[in-house]
Amino acid sequence: MSLVMRCRFVREAFSIDVDLSVASGRVLGITGENGSGKTTTLDMIAGLLPCTSGSIRIDNVIVDDEPTGQFVQAEHRGVATVFQGGGLLPHLSIDRNLVFGRGRTLRASTRFDDVVEAFDLRTLLARKPHELSGGQRQRASLARAFLSPSRILLLDEPTTFLDVASRGVVRRLMKQWFAIYEGTVVLVSHDPDEIDDVADGSARVRVSRGAMTEAVLSVA
Amino acid sequence: MTRRLSHPRGLALIGLPAAALVILPIAAVVWRTPWSNFWSAISNETARNALTLSLRTSVIATLLALIFGTPLAWFLANSNLRGRSIVRSLVVLPMVLPPVVGGVALLFAFGRRGLVGGLLDDWFGIRLAFTETATVMAEFFVAAPFFIVVMEAAFEQVDRRVMGAARAFGAGPWRTFLTVTIPLVRPSLIAATVLTWARALGEFGATIAFAGNTPGRTQTVPLAVYSELESGNDSALALSMLMVVISVVVLVALRSRWFGALRRGGE
Repeated sequence: MSLVMRCRFVREAFSIDVDLSVASGRVLGITGENGSGKTTTLDMIAGLLPCTSGSIRIDNVIVDDEPTGQFVQAEHRGVATVFQGGGLLPHLSIDRNLVFGRGRTLRASTRFDDVVEAFDLRTLLARKPHELSGGQRQRASLARAFLSPSRILLLDEPTTFLDVASRGVVRRLMKQWFAIYEGTVVLVSHDPDEIDDVADGSARVRVSRGAMTEAVLSVA
Repeated sequence: MTRRLSHPRGLALIGLPAAALVILPIAAVVWRTPWSNFWSAISNETARNALTLSLRTSVIATLLALIFGTPLAWFLANSNLRGRSIVRSLVVLPMVLPPVVGGVALLFAFGRRGLVGGLLDDWFGIRLAFTETATVMAEFFVAAPFFIVVMEAAFEQVDRRVMGAARAFGAGPWRTFLTVTIPLVRPSLIAATVLTWARALGEFGATIAFAGNTPGRTQTVPLAVYSELESGNDSALALSMLMVVISVVVLVALRSRWFGALRRGGE
């Protein structure tokens, strides 16, 4: 088992319960309506939000545990993230975005060149994110996550705001990459076709407001 | 007929007195400025002392606002502590407080018989009131809230996703703050610094109450303008004209900075 999460998150009238476990090398798709808590779920895995109660384990290491107060900071979790809209650092060039946090040794490696080639980013390296189209930004964002040494990969609506052609490209790149990725992938999408196309198994997240009815998500 | 959606007819005319009331006095300063002996009017001893003192103290007050105000603004924008809104209200209070009341408050805090001033005098022999340090403190008291308010808004507008991405890709909290957050708020940082400096440079009320009006020691340009006007000297008008010019330069600088910040924020 590579990702095991049994968490409740509560903020004011918003609460979700997430119960999932995914093995390494598998791709879990998460669906749910807008505001259903999909992004909140990813934020808890990434370490941007703590579980209100419960715990998260990555490769059998506890990264968040409410009863004991253990909490591993985001930068030490080995979780690469493709944020909604890309999440690229707007003040840095694509080149510097790709190696952010890992520095020059990565840029000099053949792996860097391979990924830049595969994601067709060579001509975009010197540009800033706001000079790119949505599809180009998403490719850069995927490449950055791919270059990052990680055990978990989170993707939040990677194709939502893309036109049909870019969506096809990004989906193809995801499938190629998931096939060789050794860690666990969690893909959030409101598009059931995308989940069917890319993921091994799927689950739904549903938020409950006011009354604390629980929506449980479970995948073996 | 003009081919466009009609405006409320005559509305703009009602606004004319407001424009006139602001523009006419500025025009009067330009008109009355003793251009022929402008240079000698701002280079006599009183004016020179006031200018160097004002420049020095306002720059120091601005730097202090930058160094201590940035962390405070960040705290106000990011903390979940309960006391946050109280701290915010107190910090921005000087923006609405009459500056002279601020000066009186500083006197009661740091004056020789003040809350802290008495102890400073007894223990260390430090007297702050009516010194150049007091001038800096008065300027800081009045101007720093502008810096903090602008920077708090700037920190609040930084995309949490972007900072989250920096963390997820291996940057620690300090590194994220220094290499991501600060560069992203840079346009606001520059605008806030200029605005704060301009406010510190123009400070009058708090300075005269807490630092006094000693030529060569605590007499800043606004105080010198007031004193010289009382004694009917040309320096008053020349220094006023100089302040008008500085204000215009600041406005132009802020304008392009603000628009720059808005453009970047829109993306």
